[in-house]
Amino acid sequence: MRGRTTRPADEANVDLTPMLDVVFILLIFFIVTSTFIQEEALGAEPPPPPSDSPPPPNPAIIVYVDESDQIRVNNRLTDISAVRGGMERARAENPESALIIQAHPQARTGTIIEVRDIAYDAQMERVNIVRSAG
Amino acid sequence: MARKIRPPANSAEDDVNLTPMLDVVFILLIFFIVTAQFIREPGVDIERIEVNNKERQSPLGILVAIDSNSEIYMNKQVVSMAEVGFRIRELREDNPKGRLVVQADADAQAGVLIELMEIVNEIDGLGRVPLSVVNN
Repeated sequence: MRGRTTRPADEANVDLTPMLDVVFILLIFFIVTSTFIQEEALGAEPPPPPSDSPPPPNPAIIVYVDESDQIRVNNRLTDISAVRGGMERARAENPESALIIQAHPQARTGTIIEVRDIAYDAQMERVNIVRSAG
Repeated sequence: MARKIRPPANSAEDDVNLTPMLDVVFILLIFFIVTAQFIREPGVDIERIEVNNKERQSPLGILVAIDSNSEIYMNKQVVSMAEVGFRIRELREDNPKGRLVVQADADAQAGVLIELMEIVNEIDGLGRVPLSVVNN
């Protein structure tokens, strides 16, 4: 032990370059593999739980989408472009009425989302999306 | 000019001190590891709808997809309707704050979507379930 010659301080430095390489590769791996998922979404109301579902006090506006994607606003067959007009007319008659989007189980999801979007455009309050029985 | 006159330094002194740089790189690395949110993607491509009233969902947490055949996918696996609630709770433990987004294909059956929305609402109590739409 005592026989060992003391080295100059410079030579005691560890060579950090290989470690730096590894760390860089790890860093680049994490940057590359991280995918930044971004989602934009439309909020849609699920049906109210069966326990507390009092019937709407006023005659609600019912938009029914059947299995072949035909839309009926209060039982009147309506084109998708005229749904907003139909909704607003129905609301003008009964300003307090809620909106119920009733979907046949085999209806297209896309149509339901479109109708919900129209309801947002028309600034409908108290919207619910429910399933029709048949 | 002054360099030429200076006596040649020995090789050890020529080395740049890399330690501060290493510190910075390490901090970056640790930042990326810590902030990485591992979202389990459903792994199906869906057709989204273009709408006017959309909201960016962040932070994103859990994704549940319904493909065009109305099958539910989570974490690259088909999940039955009875199992969805359990799987969502399982992912919630890893990611308590992330938003849950339902990626429903435009051609999926509305009945499946509505049933799924009921289950999601039961677990998360959101009132409004975010449905994925076209992102620009």
